[in-house]
Amino acid sequence: MKGEKPFAFRGKFLILLVFAAYIALFLFNSHTALLALQNSARIVLKILPIFAFVIVLTALLNYVLQPKQIIKHLGKKSGAKGWLVALLAGVISHGPMYAWYPMIEDLRSHGLRDGLIVVFFYARAIKLPLLPLMIDYFGVSFTLILSFYILIGSLIQGWILEEVEQRSR
Amino acid sequence: MNGQKSENGKQQKKPSLQQALKKSSLAFWAMTPLLLGVIGLVGLFQVLVTPKILASLFRGTAIVDTLIGTLAGGTAAGNPVVSYLLGGELLGQGISLYAVSAFILSWVTLGFIHLPAEAEVLGFAFTLYRNILAFVFTMIIAVLTSLTMQALV
Repeated sequence: MKGEKPFAFRGKFLILLVFAAYIALFLFNSHTALLALQNSARIVLKILPIFAFVIVLTALLNYVLQPKQIIKHLGKKSGAKGWLVALLAGVISHGPMYAWYPMIEDLRSHGLRDGLIVVFFYARAIKLPLLPLMIDYFGVSFTLILSFYILIGSLIQGWILEEVEQRSR
Repeated sequence: MNGQKSENGKQQKKPSLQQALKKSSLAFWAMTPLLLGVIGLVGLFQVLVTPKILASLFRGTAIVDTLIGTLAGGTAAGNPVVSYLLGGELLGQGISLYAVSAFILSWVTLGFIHLPAEAEVLGFAFTLYRNILAFVFTMIIAVLTSLTMQALV
């Protein structure tokens, strides 16, 4: 299709580097290398459903929202609603940060502002399913205070990034 | 309406759900080596940078330990539950709440091993700014949380 980037794998250099690291480790300490490989395989299996979810969610967003609507809700003039959406999305999103890169990249290409990406990534520090465990280890007060500062800190970081980007233009 | 006008005034056709799914699957497929590379690194770090090594880094000085906690959490990889377990143990060993807060927070907000992938996807400048901000704010939030806790007790 016209205007679309041709298909190309990304991160080929990184995967070659990691492969070389595994080979080197295997030569020096095969047991550790196998353990690392097992860990990686376990991670892949664990986050496959999250990858599937991100693929479907990205497709649904592209299907339901037109680029203009994405700009309206998450773009430069999205206002308070945009910050709130990023904050909530960060808190409820699950899985590792890198699982969300494809969706963030796609939304960004449609006008998602950078400040909201920063808010999304930092607000992910609040892990809803793990809150009971955090309360168990550190207490209710600590969990509430930390969560409150995370939310405020996320917004301030998003604002600072946009100021920095604006000044460096 | 089946489509809408783009910025240059041309009519844009709304993609079907199947087309949208194909597009997002392809974008994801293109990123597979990058994601597998990061996962491979996480697997390596989980074995090479053990909780025992991380716990041994702390020195018992609140300020230095807060910095160490932030760096250690950012270097570590794995489920955040591990950071809670380790954080609880560190508190039991007398490590300050500043350091432990910084440690459990940077575990989820900073990922030094994700940096190459993040820079590839979101750009070097953005990644640099975001991570510097996250690093500084993790320490600020750790200190503020601990000070607020002290004020409440």
